[in-house]
Amino acid sequence: MIEVQLQVNGTDVRHAVPDHTLLVEFLRQTLRLTGTHVGCDTSQCGACTVNLDGVAVKSCTILAAQASGGTVVTVEGLAATADQPMHPVQQAFVQCHGLQCGFCTPGMIMAVDHYLRKPPALDDASICHALEGNICRCTGYVNIIEAVRHAAREMYPEACTAGEAGAGSERT
Amino acid sequence: MIGKPIPRVEDARFVTGNGNYTDDINIEGQTHAAFLRSPHAHARLRSIDITAAAEAPGVIAVLLGQDYLDAGFQGVDHVPNPADAVISSQPAFLTSTTGSIFNQRHIPLPIDKVRYVGEAIAMVIASTPLEARNATELIDVDYDVLDAVVHGADAMHDSAPQLWDGAPGNLCFQTQIGERDKARAILAGAHLVVRREFHNSRIVNCQMEPRSAIGCHDAASDTYTLISGSQGAVRQKLCIAAALKVPPARLRVVCPDTGGGFGPRSFVYVEQLAVVWAARHVGRPVKWTSDRSEAFLSDYQGRDQIIRCAIGFSKDGRILAIDNEWIGNVGAHTVSYVPMSNGTRIMTTVYDVPVAAVHVSAVLTNTVPTAPYRGAGRPEATHAIERVLDLAAGELGIDRAEIRRRNLVAHDKLPYRSPMGLTYDSGEFLRNMERALTLAEWDSFETRRAASRAAGRLRGIGLANYIESPVGAPRERIEITVLPEGVIDIVSGTQSTGQGHETTFAQVIAEHLGVPMSAVRLRTGDTAFVSVGGGSHSDRTMRLGGMLLVEASARIVAQGRRIAASLAGCEPEHVDFADGKFVARHSRQATGLFELARLVQSDGLPGEPATRKLYADAEFNGRVPAHPTGAAVCELEVDPDTGSVALLNYTSVDDVGQPINPLIVEGQVHGGLAQGIGQALSEGCYLDRESGQVLTGSYMDYGMPRAGSVPPLRVELTEDPTLGNPLRVKGGGESGITPATATIFNALADALREIGTEELAMPATPKVVWEFIHRKEEHDHVN
Repeated sequence: MIEVQLQVNGTDVRHAVPDHTLLVEFLRQTLRLTGTHVGCDTSQCGACTVNLDGVAVKSCTILAAQASGGTVVTVEGLAATADQPMHPVQQAFVQCHGLQCGFCTPGMIMAVDHYLRKPPALDDASICHALEGNICRCTGYVNIIEAVRHAAREMYPEACTAGEAGAGSERT
Repeated sequence: MIGKPIPRVEDARFVTGNGNYTDDINIEGQTHAAFLRSPHAHARLRSIDITAAAEAPGVIAVLLGQDYLDAGFQGVDHVPNPADAVISSQPAFLTSTTGSIFNQRHIPLPIDKVRYVGEAIAMVIASTPLEARNATELIDVDYDVLDAVVHGADAMHDSAPQLWDGAPGNLCFQTQIGERDKARAILAGAHLVVRREFHNSRIVNCQMEPRSAIGCHDAASDTYTLISGSQGAVRQKLCIAAALKVPPARLRVVCPDTGGGFGPRSFVYVEQLAVVWAARHVGRPVKWTSDRSEAFLSDYQGRDQIIRCAIGFSKDGRILAIDNEWIGNVGAHTVSYVPMSNGTRIMTTVYDVPVAAVHVSAVLTNTVPTAPYRGAGRPEATHAIERVLDLAAGELGIDRAEIRRRNLVAHDKLPYRSPMGLTYDSGEFLRNMERALTLAEWDSFETRRAASRAAGRLRGIGLANYIESPVGAPRERIEITVLPEGVIDIVSGTQSTGQGHETTFAQVIAEHLGVPMSAVRLRTGDTAFVSVGGGSHSDRTMRLGGMLLVEASARIVAQGRRIAASLAGCEPEHVDFADGKFVARHSRQATGLFELARLVQSDGLPGEPATRKLYADAEFNGRVPAHPTGAAVCELEVDPDTGSVALLNYTSVDDVGQPINPLIVEGQVHGGLAQGIGQALSEGCYLDRESGQVLTGSYMDYGMPRAGSVPPLRVELTEDPTLGNPLRVKGGGESGITPATATIFNALADALREIGTEELAMPATPKVVWEFIHRKEEHDHVN
């Protein structure tokens, strides 16, 4: 057993867990924060993405003990950082219909949150690169990409000129 | 409210991490299950030694198939032969030249032999998931490894290994549909007969939520509870209760949020049956959650249908007759014959084909069982006929759009009965195609081809038309209760796996009962209160459920009129209903819907004082004729140096009927299209043809579409109204996927037309395309 001490969504937690406990297991099973999901066992799908010390990480690929001492934000705590009921990224996913079954969504949102922590490039290639580590089976990613732009426009109104934000899918 | 692109009301819980999927649920006192899975595709089980596993730390029980049978249970009947697309009271396939239609009950763990890599052999119940999993590795199985067969056509050879005693020749059934003799006579005299085989490749379902199930058993009442995500709780309940030999009332199935369905989750899985059996055995709840590696080996898979076309044409490009052969790879267990029934019924699609016939073989192989996967037979059928039309156009020197114009069912021929017996009531087939061609700038393509060629790339454009059929479970039910506290409570027999029912149902109710959407509360997916319903598949939810929402709403309004009339002392026909209020014409006395519900609660219905609920239900069992239809165009570029294919743009014109929520319908088109792109270009489910070993067992080697896989899209919704249901719904869930592989393969063939006209293997990965280009070059060089 090993003691793991973390700040999770603004709350300090301390638990002794088996040494091999993954961060995602610590979140889901020890803390019962089930918003973070497990979609694969090869670090491919990104459903388990959380923010650790300011960086989006796949919580299935790091031991809880490795994260110990760090600060974790999960999808449940994201809105608190924005001081409103929903973070602009969460709002954008709703507004743009960027989710269907919702299973990949928490990981997607945490990956996008990381991408938008500084003014982002909003061309298709840059957004797709940022989403490369997250798999969705329902949406075809079209509206997820749209949600990234939508959130960026909310978060960086000056940086996102109309021209820049207009790239991407055409609709008729 | 109907027709508005309203953001979904259920999303708030999903984006904040408050979704409730099966693995998120934990039951007091639960134990954990793990399964030992077969490393062999085909092997006799000589012996299974569980001694060491049973003594391992934390292990509570180790269960084998014989234990299941000894407990008096039987295997699951998956009801593989679905309801017919026209006469829903009878099965789709009625006869077989083999004498019977094979249907093998599926026991959760096999007792005689394993029949595919990944088949569960033993189940360990332990205190933790890790203890259960570790113990599975201590089970010692003595296998007598047998020859395996994984390819549908291989399994039909006389010398092929045999899977089941009850299915000689590995045939579940074999049957002839349509007028074969007539078709063959026409083909014999046809100007051109295009013969080509299409192997529509196997697909791994890859819903993002790994399957999970929690079984509970109450010994005092001998009742079971299964908590497990699926595409329909009622089917699960009926099939599992029958396997456990208990009346359905003794099994409650709860389906929480479900992370994607796409077809295969309509059917019962052995793990779902096993956890309720095990819960009874150990006297505690039993939970199991699949990992992704298990999912690749055990989630029912899609497609794997071979279609051998023989289609005759006149000199001017008219289809004269079709004589196809269809071989469906059923896999190792008889889970579903749906792809074959759907695919053969829709085989002539939107074309006016005078005579058609198809010979169908349903074949068992040493592979994961197949089940309907989005479109289920219709994309396969569409792919075949659309490829053949392009080939015929090439042979006859007719433009590819023009050959379709000459064959499309004319609008003035509607209602049109196809030679396979479907009747299309609506659909502007020609107009949809012309619109797609215009949007895609089809006529100016050659300029773009030349520009690509100058840059060293091969550019192609492809076109496909499609139509779907109104199939799926024929029975559905809706219950509406108006609650005085301002809630419209809806109980629906169908349930969402991501389609946004809480939003679209609320839109329909808001429109028909004049209440705000926020007043509507939808309850689904729990047989404690859902008695009847078919679940979500085959575009059936809004087609059937929507019709019943309208019908039950009308009954609520009729009751409301009667009550309001008795309050106002007038006749019900003198009460108007608008904006949620009943207004007596003579007195202008207005009573709101919820106020009426309060009155009913306190005083009962007029003349029925015992009835204290403002309630109505509606139920249906049959077919609602509705045929989603449309056309798609795709433009792509092949890099001859790498074989990689870049989709440049994709145009989709879809008649889904009236879209209840265009935002959701477009999302369905996007998602279906991504799955079609995946099948066409990257999702190779590769098995070793000799040993049956799985070569693609994770997201690292199975080509899932990623962000950027879908090119710039033009999606245009159109409608030629159907009169078949009051909401004019046709269905949007399968629009994107149905023409997708056909469109992409037609575009690829067009790009590669100067290199060769042989059929590319599906998926057309860079390797497949590169070899097509370069082996061809080598061959030409040698000659």
